[in-house]
This record gives sequence, structure tokens and C-alpha cells, in this order.
Amino acid sequence: MKLGPKAAAAAITVSAALALTACGGSATSGTAAAKTTTLTVGAIQEMRSWDPAQAHVGHYLQPYQAAYDSLVLREPDGKLSPMLATEWKYNDTNTKLTVDLRTDVTFSDGAPFNAEAAKANLDHFKKANGPQMAQLTAVSDVAVVDADTIELNLTSPDPSLEFYLSQAAGLMGSPKALGTEGIKTEPVGSGPYVMDKAATVKDSQSVFTARKDYWNKDIQKFEKVTFKILIDLTARTNALVSGQVDATLLDPKTGKQAEGAKMNLVATEVDWQGLLLMDRDGTKNPALGNVKVRQAINHAFDRKTIVDQVLMGQGTPTSQPFGKASGAWTEDLENYYSYDPAKAKSLLKEAGYETGVVLDVPAVPGFETQLAVVKQQLSDIGITLNVGAAITNTYTTDISAQKFTAILFSLFQGEPWVATNQIVSTKALYNPFKNTTPELQAKIDAVEKGGKDAGKAAQEVNKYVVEQAWFAPLYRVNQMYYHNSKVAVEPQVQQAVPSIYNYSPAK
Amino acid sequence: MITFILKRLGSGLVVLFAVSILVFSLLYVSSGSIARNILGDQATPEQLAVKEAELGLDQPIMTRYFSWLTGALQGDLGTSWFTSEPVANALATRIPVTMTMVIVAMILIAIIATLIGVAAAVKRGWVDRVVQIGAIIGDSVPGFVIGIILVTILAIQMGLFPATSTISTGAGADAWMLSLALPVIALLINGVTGGAQQIRSAVIKQLERDYVRTLRSRGIGEREVLFKHVLRSAAPAGLTVLSLQLIGMLGGVVIIETIFALPGMGPLAVAATAQSDQPVVMGVVMYTVAVVIVVNLIVDLLNGWLNPKVRVS
Repeated sequence: MKLGPKAAAAAITVSAALALTACGGSATSGTAAAKTTTLTVGAIQEMRSWDPAQAHVGHYLQPYQAAYDSLVLREPDGKLSPMLATEWKYNDTNTKLTVDLRTDVTFSDGAPFNAEAAKANLDHFKKANGPQMAQLTAVSDVAVVDADTIELNLTSPDPSLEFYLSQAAGLMGSPKALGTEGIKTEPVGSGPYVMDKAATVKDSQSVFTARKDYWNKDIQKFEKVTFKILIDLTARTNALVSGQVDATLLDPKTGKQAEGAKMNLVATEVDWQGLLLMDRDGTKNPALGNVKVRQAINHAFDRKTIVDQVLMGQGTPTSQPFGKASGAWTEDLENYYSYDPAKAKSLLKEAGYETGVVLDVPAVPGFETQLAVVKQQLSDIGITLNVGAAITNTYTTDISAQKFTAILFSLFQGEPWVATNQIVSTKALYNPFKNTTPELQAKIDAVEKGGKDAGKAAQEVNKYVVEQAWFAPLYRVNQMYYHNSKVAVEPQVQQAVPSIYNYSPAK
Repeated sequence: MITFILKRLGSGLVVLFAVSILVFSLLYVSSGSIARNILGDQATPEQLAVKEAELGLDQPIMTRYFSWLTGALQGDLGTSWFTSEPVANALATRIPVTMTMVIVAMILIAIIATLIGVAAAVKRGWVDRVVQIGAIIGDSVPGFVIGIILVTILAIQMGLFPATSTISTGAGADAWMLSLALPVIALLINGVTGGAQQIRSAVIKQLERDYVRTLRSRGIGEREVLFKHVLRSAAPAGLTVLSLQLIGMLGGVVIIETIFALPGMGPLAVAATAQSDQPVVMGVVMYTVAVVIVVNLIVDLLNGWLNPKVRVS
């Protein structure tokens, strides 16, 4: 079976044809000297539903922002600005929020945006059982005052409400489409882009084109926006490096490859990782009920080295669970617990635990390295870390059922009131033993009633949980968002993936 | 013949039924916090209860299974708990991508493995040694590693192919071909090396049989001996290997699809399993089992057609 001359000629023709197609491909993309008019984002997950009430936080929010305007616009630095709402004001007791609305906006199906439409959306959000439905828990009802004014009545003050109106709860869909089957697969909003249904393929890509006569040209910077669904990290890296997408989320390791291909990094801190010492009353593990033991644990870690080794330097060592952009963060608490094994041992001795402490944690997939490091550093001060069975997708139920006394975890760092209700208050999922003291509760109440000063009030909560060593935070993680030189991207606080408004064609 | 097919299809249905019970029970055990997974950290117990009632999670397992089964028998596989997409719909858009890839890879494997295997068996000597060494190398490198190497060299460095799939609605045949080329190559290398090995030994075994000597002694040309008699007798062994490879490929394709971001069954299966999206997982499993049953049936029929001896048994 030798290759005859004919076969050889055929082979040469085929490879030549392949080479030609390749040239053709690169030639078209190579002529992009002018400003780009398209944006292709490598999205890490497909939307579950385009119903605005099913919108989520963080990277799950961005695609909704293409189709839907929100009542409030959150600037990259976290400042809240008018969008569909022109103005909003609380009453004296922070229990009623009056919101003035724009009058010149229509939805993509032609329906006008007005007070009735806003009410319909907020009512829909409250009963649609979406992943962020808790955002409107404090709102008892929404009243239409006049054509361009609504009132949100609250059962109790919620310092996060204005923030929520820039998030899932604030997204406004056409009242005609809300609750229909159609809006699940095709968004109907007033946003800068409309979905190109013909080009959109579930689990592959969602394509949007600029909406004609959109009211706010400043944030409509592209003619076409594509969200290419790339769940796999390797696929995202390859797509970015080969120019298939303009921007996507990577990690420290794949980031090196992207940097080698001259991609630009936008780094933001979104999550913190560390130990949640949850059994602070010592219900199941008496040692954890002793504050000195918890403080000793905090002194056991060489956080700087952990960041350098485990995260390749892509993170910031910290002793506090509240995030830098949250308002609850303070410089003093950043290095509150130094790396001091000797002090840790003496604290254990004072607490009467010089013979050793056993700490049980579940294994968390993806945290193998972190667990190994933590185990080793704790053993240096005489604490044995027992790593149990891996958590499963029932872990939230397991946590609230007090199955774990401690866990090494990664948590989102949100706004002060959000974070308080996530990890500190007795309602918080990550406070399953419902630990509290009158002193702490007073501080939490101050945050709730704090209105505009909620952040400042939350500094006291932060200080309390750091001093009482409720947690043993290790570091805040850098989210590594990369983009090519065709687009400019501005980071967004508390979001690994920036808001859609933060992208613009590179100059 | 007809009774044979009907019998096989009947036993296939029994297998489907048994697997459905097994998978449903396994999913039941792990589906405790579905409502929590959907609604997130901050949902209240009341909100969770409403969601559970909405999904029918408050019903006992038997009720849930029978309502699923009645639906499935009427062609309604339910809707995804997480995306509200009808499962039948989800499968219908993804099966073409996966099956195109698998079938193209299988056809190529069958042709290339046969050519190489027969060449090695007939020529022996250095040809055989090269095939043997190639088989060891091919078998020892997993498909996804080959995939990543191919992407790095052919897509990223040389720009000959897209690094991830560009298949979308209305995409032309060229988009399909370019998008599927690397995944198919990644899939078929293991198959070719494994298949060639089996076909080689089957052909060698046949070549040593008495009937070959008889045919040769009657002056029948070597070509006719090989293609008309030896290959036909060696075919059942090759077919069995190929059918096993196809079934194995249904698993291997999951990783390949993820790496190349192909909108096929792989990402659907992975996402659904990770979230315990029961209706989708059930749909994916039923589809996979059905493919296995059909492939086995086709192989049996082909074997019977090639080799009369099999038909009797």
C-alpha cells in the first residue's frame, strides 16, 4: 500500500486548501485596525432562564444587564447612580423608599416603562422564587403613587435595598412578558441590547445586537455582544488566546498562559477563604467554645507564604471576613492575627488545651492544597485537623443541620448588611449554631438601622467577630479576568466578571 | 429474523426499565437540597417548601417515579429543574452534535483500523512492528490529552482550526467540519490503535487456518483470498471491538466536548449531574442506554449477515 502519485497529489491539494482557509481566516481578523464594534465574552455558565426574576449575583448578572436596565446603576467603584430610577429617598425611619422613575423609556416589545411596570416587576420578583428572591424580603408591598413614582414599604429597614435595586431585584422586564414562557428563553427588557434569537444557541452562545434608539447611548458601546458559553477553564483559555473571545475569567495558572499571549489582566478581590469556626458555643466541640483556642488557630497561619505558594501570589493575606470595598473593612484588622506559633501555643496552654485540640472539617473539592497546608500549620501548634468526607451538593442543608463544627471554605464578600446576614447574624446560613451575644446583637441592630452609615456601623460587627475569632480568614482571592487589546475593561467591585457597562472598544 | 429483532428490542426495554429505577433511586438519595441549590443561601424555609412543592419533591419516591414513568411513556421526559427547558428539547438539540462526532469518528476508525490491521497482518516485518509500537503509544495517551495538544499546535499556534466550537444555528457545513475536525481526531486515535491491534490478530489467526491453504492451493489469487474470505471471517471480532469502542466513546466524548466547548451531550450531562437536575439526568441516561441497546442490536445483525454460523445460535 504505497502512496501513488495521485494520492500524493491529492494530499498536497488538501493541505494547501487547509492552509488557504487558514490565511483567509486570519486575514479578516487581522484588518481590525479600526475600533471594534463587537464584543465577545467567554461566559462561564449558561443562563438558567432569561426571566429577570431568575437573575443571580456576580458573574450571573452580566448577561441580564445586556437585555435589561435596572432601577439603579452600580458604578465600577460601587457608587449607586440613577438609571431607570432618577431619584430615591427614604423616610425618617428608613421604612419607606420613594422612587422617581424615567418617563421616556420603552421595552423592546413596545410597552412603556412607568410606575405600573416597575410595580409589576417588583411584585413578580417577590413571588417568582428566583435565586435572589431574598433581596426583596424586607419589602412588604409596592405602591404606585403616580405615573412616574413608586413607594416601597418595608417591614423593617434594609440598608442593602438600594444596592439590591442595582442587582437582580432592580432588573425591569416588559410587564407584558413577565410570567410567560417566552421570556425564559428570550429576554424582553429596555436594555441596551436585544437578543438575536436566530443566532442564539442554548449552551453555546447568546447573541445580542444594539437596540435602535436606546435612551442611554453612553452605555451602549458595541453593535453586537456575544456571550460564548465556555464552562471549561481550558476551553476559555484556548478561546481567549486564539482570539475567539475578547475577554474571559481565568485563574492564576491559566493566567500565565494568557499573559504569555499578551492578554491584559483585570484583577478584583471578590471572595475570602479561610476557616469558619462555627461551633463558637462549644456545643459539639468544647474546645471551639473557648475564644483563646479560636485565637490560637488564627495565630497558627503564615498567611503571606500561603498566598505566595497556593495562589501564586494572587491574593491578599487578611484576618477579617469583611471585604475591602464593603465599608466594614478597616486597616487595623487586616493583620490583626500575626503568624506567631509560640503565642498560639501559649494561648492554648492558658485555655487548658496544651495537650492538643482536634478540629473536624469536611473535605471541600478543589481545596485539597489549602487543606493540606492548613493541616500542617495547625499541627505545628498542636492542633489536629481531621479532614472528613467530602461535602456534596447537599452541603447547605448539612451546614444548617449543624453537621460541621468548622469548615474551610470560600465565601463571597458582599455589602455589609449582605455579609452580616450571610455569616454573622442568627439568621445567617453560615452561623448554623446561631451564636450571638447581646453586645453583638446591638451592633447588628445598629447596622440594620444605619441607613447610609450602615458600612461604618458594620465596622463594629467586623471588629467584634475578628476579636472573638469567629473565623480564621486566610486571604482574599484575586479574580483573574483577562481581555485582549481590542477592548478596554474596567474592574467592578465585588464582581469577578465586570458589569457589561465596563467594556468599551479600545482606543 | 423479525422475532430475533423483536426479542432483542424487548429485552432492551427491560434493561431500560431496570436502569431507570436504579438511577432514579440513586438521584433520590442525593436530591435533598435541590430547592436550596436553586434558591441560594438566603432562602427562607417557607420559600424552600414552596419550591419543593412546585417540583413535586414533597411527594414520596414511588409517586415521583411513576409520574416520571407515565410521562416518559407518553414521550414527555419532563422539564429541567434548573433551566425550565423541556428535556426532550435539550436532548434534541444536543444529540445531533454528539452523534455526528461519534459516527464520523467510528466510520473513520473502522476504515483506518482495518487498513492498518490488515496491512500489519499481511506484510508483518517492519510494518507490523510499527503498528504494534504505534498501538502502545496510542493506547497510553488519553484522548483529551491528544485534544489539548492538537488545540495548542493546530488551533492556537497555526490557526488552522477554531480552538473551540463555532457551531451555531445556520452555521454552514464548513463551520461544522472545522469545529469537529480536532475533536474527531482526538477521539479516533485511541480507537484506531486499539481496533488495528484486534483486527491484525484476527486476520493473522484466519490466515493460519487450513481453508486459506486450500484456497491458495486451488490457485485463487491472494487478493481474493484476503478480501473475500479472510476478512469476512475476521470481521465479527473486529465488529465487536468497534461496538465496544463506540459505547466507550459515549463516555470519552464528555471530556472532549467540554474541552472544545461543543454544545453536545457532554456539558449537559456534567451540569445536570453536578446539580442533581433529575429530569435531565434521567433523559441523558435513557438516551445513553438506548444507544447502547441499538448499537448491540446492529452489531448482532451485521455479524449474522457476515457469518451464517452466528445466525443459528
